Order: sequence, then structure tokens, then C-alpha cells
Amino acid sequence: MTATATRPVRTASRGPSPASRQRRELLVLMLPALVPVVLFSVGPLLYGIALAFTDARAGRNVEYGFNGLDNFTRLMGDGAFWQAMVTGLIWAVSVTVLTFLFGLGLALLLNENLRFRGFARVLAVVPWAMPPVVIGLMWRMVYHADAGILNGILGTDIDWLADFTFVLPAIILMGVWSGMPQTTVVLLAGLQNVPAELYEAGKIDGAGSWQRFRNITLPQLKPVIVAITSLDFVWNFNQFSLIWVLTQGGPGGRTTLPMVFAYQEAFRYGRFGSAAAFGVVIMIVVLAILGVYLWRQMREANA
Amino acid sequence: MRITSALAAAAVLALSAACGSGGSTGATGGGTASEAPAEPVKLNFLSLAWQKESIEANKALVDEWNKNNPTIQVTYVQGSWDNVNDQLVTQFEGGGAPDVIHNDSPALSGFATRGYLLDLKDKLPAELKSDIPQPAWDTVTFGAEGGVYGVPFLQESQVIIANKKLLDAAKVRVPTADNPWTWDEFAEVSKKLTKDGAFGVAWPMKSPVNKTLNLALNFNGTFFQTGADGKSTVKVGPEEKEVLQRIYNQIHVDKSADPKTLGMGTADPLPGFYKGEYAMLPVGVYLRQQVAEQAPEGFEWVTLPPLKGTSSNQGAVSQTLSVSADSKNPDEALKFISFFLNGPNQARLAKGDWLLPTSQKAATDPSITGAENGWDVATASVKNLVVAPFLKVNGYDEWKSKVATPVLQEYYAGKISLDDAAKRLVEEGNKVLERY
Amino acid sequence: MKRPLQYLALVVYVVFLGFPLVWLLSTSLKTPREMASTDPSWIPADPTFANFIDAFGEQDLIGAAFRSLVVALFSALLTVALALPAAYVMARHRGLASRVATGWVLVSQVFPFILIIIPLFMVLRNLELTNTLTGLVLVHVTFTLPFALWMLQGYVRAVPRELEEAASVDGAGRVRSIVSVVAPLLAPGVVATLLFSFISSWNEFLFALVVLRDPDVMTLPLTLARFTGPEGVARLGPLAAASLMATIPSLIFFAIIQRRLKSGLMAGAVKG
Repeated sequence: MTATATRPVRTASRGPSPASRQRRELLVLMLPALVPVVLFSVGPLLYGIALAFTDARAGRNVEYGFNGLDNFTRLMGDGAFWQAMVTGLIWAVSVTVLTFLFGLGLALLLNENLRFRGFARVLAVVPWAMPPVVIGLMWRMVYHADAGILNGILGTDIDWLADFTFVLPAIILMGVWSGMPQTTVVLLAGLQNVPAELYEAGKIDGAGSWQRFRNITLPQLKPVIVAITSLDFVWNFNQFSLIWVLTQGGPGGRTTLPMVFAYQEAFRYGRFGSAAAFGVVIMIVVLAILGVYLWRQMREANA
Repeated sequence: MRITSALAAAAVLALSAACGSGGSTGATGGGTASEAPAEPVKLNFLSLAWQKESIEANKALVDEWNKNNPTIQVTYVQGSWDNVNDQLVTQFEGGGAPDVIHNDSPALSGFATRGYLLDLKDKLPAELKSDIPQPAWDTVTFGAEGGVYGVPFLQESQVIIANKKLLDAAKVRVPTADNPWTWDEFAEVSKKLTKDGAFGVAWPMKSPVNKTLNLALNFNGTFFQTGADGKSTVKVGPEEKEVLQRIYNQIHVDKSADPKTLGMGTADPLPGFYKGEYAMLPVGVYLRQQVAEQAPEGFEWVTLPPLKGTSSNQGAVSQTLSVSADSKNPDEALKFISFFLNGPNQARLAKGDWLLPTSQKAATDPSITGAENGWDVATASVKNLVVAPFLKVNGYDEWKSKVATPVLQEYYAGKISLDDAAKRLVEEGNKVLERY
Repeated sequence: MKRPLQYLALVVYVVFLGFPLVWLLSTSLKTPREMASTDPSWIPADPTFANFIDAFGEQDLIGAAFRSLVVALFSALLTVALALPAAYVMARHRGLASRVATGWVLVSQVFPFILIIIPLFMVLRNLELTNTLTGLVLVHVTFTLPFALWMLQGYVRAVPRELEEAASVDGAGRVRSIVSVVAPLLAPGVVATLLFSFISSWNEFLFALVVLRDPDVMTLPLTLARFTGPEGVARLGPLAAASLMATIPSLIFFAIIQRRLKSGLMAGAVKG
């Protein structure tokens, strides 16, 4: 489904070339990438998916077997599971959308011929370059109730990470911060890819900068935008370590994202089967959302 | 040819349903060591020491051992508390866990029931066994057969670290180990210390469960009862509610505890504490290290003994050394542990980590019994430590994160009533425990 | 009148994203006492190098950084080398192979990594690649490949097919037309992908944690974690000092390759 959905506009048909030669050529081009994927990704992944239909548990010499859809029915009846999925969706959509908007803004600026552009570019990737261990610690200090920078700036007295109302916005801000460099760099690279002739043609036509942005930049950038926002969404939905360091899913379960739930199920309670089932559900939900998103994008492009 | 064998391996994995299958290569890196007699036995020791003095003490002890035991060479590998669970679960399941593993008693229960750890019951040298008192051994004894899955060495107790100037100014009675404050007295003192915008006490309750349950033993609140079939159920009666209610009252009724510290982790209130925003911190003994290191010039602080309810009993959490069930050289591993945890060495480790040694010989060591930095009070509090019932409850970990953590967070934040909290702890909790 | 606004916006962005660097520097020079102050200042009142001395004295940071650099460079180069041809196929040919590949890219990114870490670990153990940097590089390549494929095929797609065909018409061979026309246009995308692979590998923690066992193969993220204790308590000073050193190489790497982020199109200007 997703494979068909990503099919782009069909342009002019290709020149004739012997089918068998072309197939061999394609294989040669694809093969190097396939080797590590088959080696390290296919096996473990299929194994992980297969576990979802078993009652696998942690332990030495534990015997387990096929249990059909038991894991799934149990999950469906678990309120905490649904809450985690809802929280996960709110988090992933907000972070992805905000990251994209702010990232695009920054990418456009960095694409301009401004002074200190190189310097600004390097500083803009700081959140990405920082080791994750220290990122969590730093944000804990930003949000610290007594000595925090944020309360200092705003003149407030809020314990951001323990407040039932503010905790989700607080971690979303951190999510945007940590996701921006990557998105920005990807979009910037995409902007560099837009042929200059198109802009020149636009200028001759007398298009204003907004019109040029709408009619030239955006359509040209679209494949890159679709690619990065869909990946951002997947990564955000699967975010774990940042949240774990900051809140461990608290307070009162307000920031229990799907992966926090899955992590606990597997690594804390040792229920590998049930955790794998959860992974499968996450996969189906995310692929469904992505499918709709990619399909709509492509249809628009075709229209 | 690498590729074909790898493909085969991947295929085997995909088909095989046995997660723990696949021969274990053991932890000695290739596992050839024990076959060649000329080669020394190699042991990997995963340590979680992280404070400066503690790392130094650990490394020094390993060096000392390696020098004196050319036939048993120990490699010191450092891990970190935050990730040790993930690392160990993967390595236990996939093979290749370290031989000697540093961890703590709450983690051992789960590892022991899954068979990851070696039962040391019949292997312990008499000297080590008698030097460590039974209550400490209880924290690492699990299962129907009473297997011993680690050697407990450092223990934590909950004390109160207080701002001395504020205490003196309020002219309150200074408690001693023989005559500690009761919870009532503590509440009074907190109220007295609450003035001029400052609070009497800060309760950092980001992870509220272990702290609450360990303190609940002051009023004999056990939170669990275990039936004849070994199944546990949750119980929240008047005894369990005592400490919950008292902490709640300080925050919401007396207003002598700063509500904004509620969501903080253990060390987070320190900046406010140094500034005099709150006078007392009920925290683990190890926090003294940070206070000693960070407190501003002229800041005077004291360590006060644990509070008393109907008793001063507290749940004990021990740090432990265990032997991996997969270890090729368990006897050598145990020899190393016996050396590492003998009296004098435990005193060094305790001092390095600012915790309490289990060794009775170490407990009299002058370096950890002096008045400086509250060592006398801290070390004396070891007598209050008993094994907390939750350590033995299968499924406690899940109850803690799924039920108790959110419920207690909501309760302390004033979102739900005590009766609601109690009801959820029991009803939702029993549903979780049913599966074990 | 537009320029000043642009500069203002840029400053806001840079402060928002770059302030941690200043924070790291300032923290790494502070004494424990100053770090515990309730009104933290950006400039240490009493700067000290003790944190650096502690950090570098206790842990083999230089060795770990060197190993991380080797792992990250190899991972980045290998990832891009493997992904580029395949991405081209995915973007330009609608065969079954490219559909399967696209599907796989998505599935492998969507299925939670933590749930396959144990079987992955077992594959490596059967290949006797645990406790080796080679094993780590292979895993990093495998798990950045989907991103690389996905992004690069987006960039390939953004290159107008007409340009490529124009070159073919000019008489250049198929491969030549790819190399001389498409490749230069892809330079910015390749830079972005290299950077992604490099940083992912440089900062990767979880898999390194379970695969690497001996002190003499540990990478930098593992070494940094040594400064943290239970419940999020950390020795902030040495950690900041070490983190500063861990952050700078990625920034330098980016500073070097970011120049390529403007020249792609100009260099390969379309002649036809």
C-alpha cells in the first residue's frame, strides 16, 4: 500500500533498453544496500514480529509457544495502552508539524545570502551534535522549578515537568528543539537543489517573493518535505530516550508515550510477546497514517 | 562465505522460536581461558560506581586483586545505573553477560526468578556469611528455596538533612539516634520552620513509590500480603495510609512543605536548600556527598536520624554483587567477591559512595563513624533497616510503574483523595499482580 | 527593510538552538558549589579546569573519541556509498524491487528498535562480532540505511528527469549522464545524509552499550554515561567537560562539509 502510494508523477516514458540488461543493472545497483539489510535487519525484524503471536517471556530456558491473537486482545482491553497511543499521536503530530514549520523558516534564512551564514549553520546543528546523555540533563535544568532558566525568563514559579497541564507542552518544546537541526539541514539541502533557472524565470515573469515561494520553491521541495515529515513523524512516534530521561512517563502517566509503554513491557516486565504485539500495533497505526498522508500528497501532485 | 553463514544465522533466528537458545559463549570473551591451564582465568566485573572517590576505590581494589592473584585476572568494566537493566536483560537473553555484576536488591528479584543469576546459597564462604547480618541477606533471598542471588554490601537509609542555622534559630530539640523525632514532632518542627516565605521541608517525590513504601514501615505499613500459594495482593489499610496522609498534610494542610519541590528528583531541591528556601530534606544518606561538595561557604548542615512512627523501621535497599548464571568461572568469581567485600574493603567502598556497609567489621571503621559530614548518624541508622516486603513481591516493578507511581503522584499533587488513591492502588494493583 | 528582520530571526533561531553550547562551556568551568546556585550565571565567577582534569583523568576519553570517530566515519561513508545507487533505482524505476525496498524502509523505521535489539544482538554473536567495532559499524550502517535511502531517493526525484535525458540526448552514456549530471545536483543531499549518518553513529548509545564489553573498545557515548548515577543524579562538571569534547567533532565535521551545501547546483550547471 505504501509502496504504491509513494509512486510519483509519471513523466515522459523512458527510452528503449533491453529489459534483461536493465534488470541486471538494477540488481547491481541495489545489491550493496541489500546485503546489510538482509543480514541485520530482516531476520531480527521478522523474528520480532513473529514473537507477537507467542507468549514469549524473559528468562533462561523459558519455554513458550504460539498463542494466536491473545496478546492483541489483551492490549485492546488495556486502558493504559489506548492512553499511550493517544498521547503518542498528540506528541508526534505536534512535534512533527512544529519542527517542520520552524525548520523550514530556518532553512529559508540559511539559504539566503546573509553574513555569518556558515557560522549560523554550524550553531543550528548544536542540539543534534550534543550527546543525548547531557541533553536530558540540560533540559531538566531549563525546566527546574528553582534554578531553571525558563522560570527565570518568564518570571514564573512552575515546576514544568511535574505539572499535569504543562508537562506535555514542555516536552513538545524540547522535542521540537532536538528535531529541528536535522529537519533544517535536510530542507536546506532540498532548497539548494532547486534549479536557479526556475527562479530566474520567475523573476522575469515578475513574480513576488511570496509567489516565487509558493509556485516554485514549495512544489520543487515537495518530495523532500514529504520524505522528512514522514520520517520525523515515525521517529517522534517512536521517541523514547529523551522522554525517559526527563519524565519517565510521569507525572501521573501524562507523558507515557507508546515506546515508554513498550519498553517497560519488554525490558522491565519481561513480556517479550506482548511487547512485540505492541510493536506490531504501532507499526500498523503508523503505516496507516503515513499511507493516508503519502497517498494524499501524491494525489495532489498528480492533480 | 561470511555472507552465507550470516544468512543462515539470520534464517535460523527468524525460524527458531527459542529466545534464549544458541550456545552461550560465556562472559570471558571467547571462553578458551579455562581450557588452557597456563592462561589465567579471566573475569569481567561490571561496576556501577560513578562518584569520583568510589571509582577510585573500586579500581584500586581490582588492581590489588589482580596483583595478588595472577591466575584470576579481573577486568573492571564500568556501567551506569540508568541503563544497566537494558544492558543486562539483552546480555542475559543473548549471552555474554559479565561474570560479576553490581546491581541493587530491587532489581535482583526479577533477575533471580528468570534464572539469570547464580544461587550462591551453598557457596558462600563462612567468613563473608557471618560478617553480614541476616536482615541484609534477607534483601537478596528470593524464591521458595530461599536462594541467595547476590552479596549485599552497601545500604541506603532515609535520613533528614537540615539547615543548622534555621534549626538553631527556631530553637527546636535536636534529635539523636536514641531519641529521634516522631512524625508528630517532625510535623510540628516543619510548621515552626515555615516562615518568611521559607518552607520547613521539601519532599522531592518524582519517584515516590520506593521512598513512600520504605518509610511506611515506620507505622508497620507493608502494602502487600502474601498468601500460602505465594501470590501477593496489595493492601492499603490504616497502617499504610499513615505516612501517605502525613506527607500529604505537610503539603496541603499545614503548608509546611514546598509544593513545587514535589515533582523533583532527589538532588533537585539542593539549590533551594542552600538558599534557605526549605530547612529540611528527607533524603537518602548518599545525598550528603553532594551537600558536602556543593554547599556554599558558611552553610552549616546536619544529618538527623530517621523519623519514628510506631517504630523507626525502614525498608532497606542494598547494592549487591551477583554472579551471572552463565559464568564459566563461578567459583573464581565468588573468590573475587569475597575479597572485594571483606570488612576493610567495604569500609572503603562505603566511604567512596557515602552509603552504609553491611559488613559488621566495616561498620566500626573509624573512617565512617566520625561526626564529620554526619557519618555517625548515618552509620547508626543501619540498625533501623529491615527487609521491605515489596522486595519479595513478583510483579512489584509493574505495579510500581503502572499503578503506584501515577497514583501517588496524583495523590501528593492533591488531584485525588486518600481513599481514591488507596482504592486504585489495591484494585488496579491486584489486576496487575494477578498475571504473576 | 527585509534584511534586518531576517537577521533578527536568525539571531533568535541561533540563540534557541545554540545556547546549550554556551551552557556546556560555562558549566564545565564551574565549581560544584557554583553549579548549585539558584541563580545560575553564564560566566563562571571562579573558573576552574578541575572538571576537565577529572573527566580526562578518570576516563579514557581520548581513546573513546578516537574509536567513535573511526566508527562514525566508516558508518557514514559506507552508508552513503551503499545507499546512493539503490536510492537512484528506487526513485527512477518502478519495479517490484524498488517497491519492496520502499516498503521495507518504512517498516524497518516504524518497528520499534528496542524490540529487535535482542535478536539483533544474537545475530552478531553468532557472527562473533560482539565486542568489536566492526560489528558496531555494520549495525549503524544497517539502521541508518533506511533513512539514507529514503532521503536520497527524495533528492534524486527532485532532480528533473529532463536534465538527465537531455544529457543522454547529447550523446553521453547512461552511466556518464548519471555521474556528470545527476551526481553534482545531489551533492547537498549527500552532505545532509553524510551528516545524518555521522552524527547518528557518533551519538548512538543503546546498541553500543549491549555489544561492546571490554574497556578498550568502548565508544564515547558509553564513556560519557559513566558520569551519571541513579535517578538522574550526575556529576555535572566532568560530564559537561566531556560532553563539550564530544560535541565539537560533529560541529567541525559539519563546518567542513556544509560548504558543499551551496555549490551543488552551480558546480554542475546545466549545459544542455
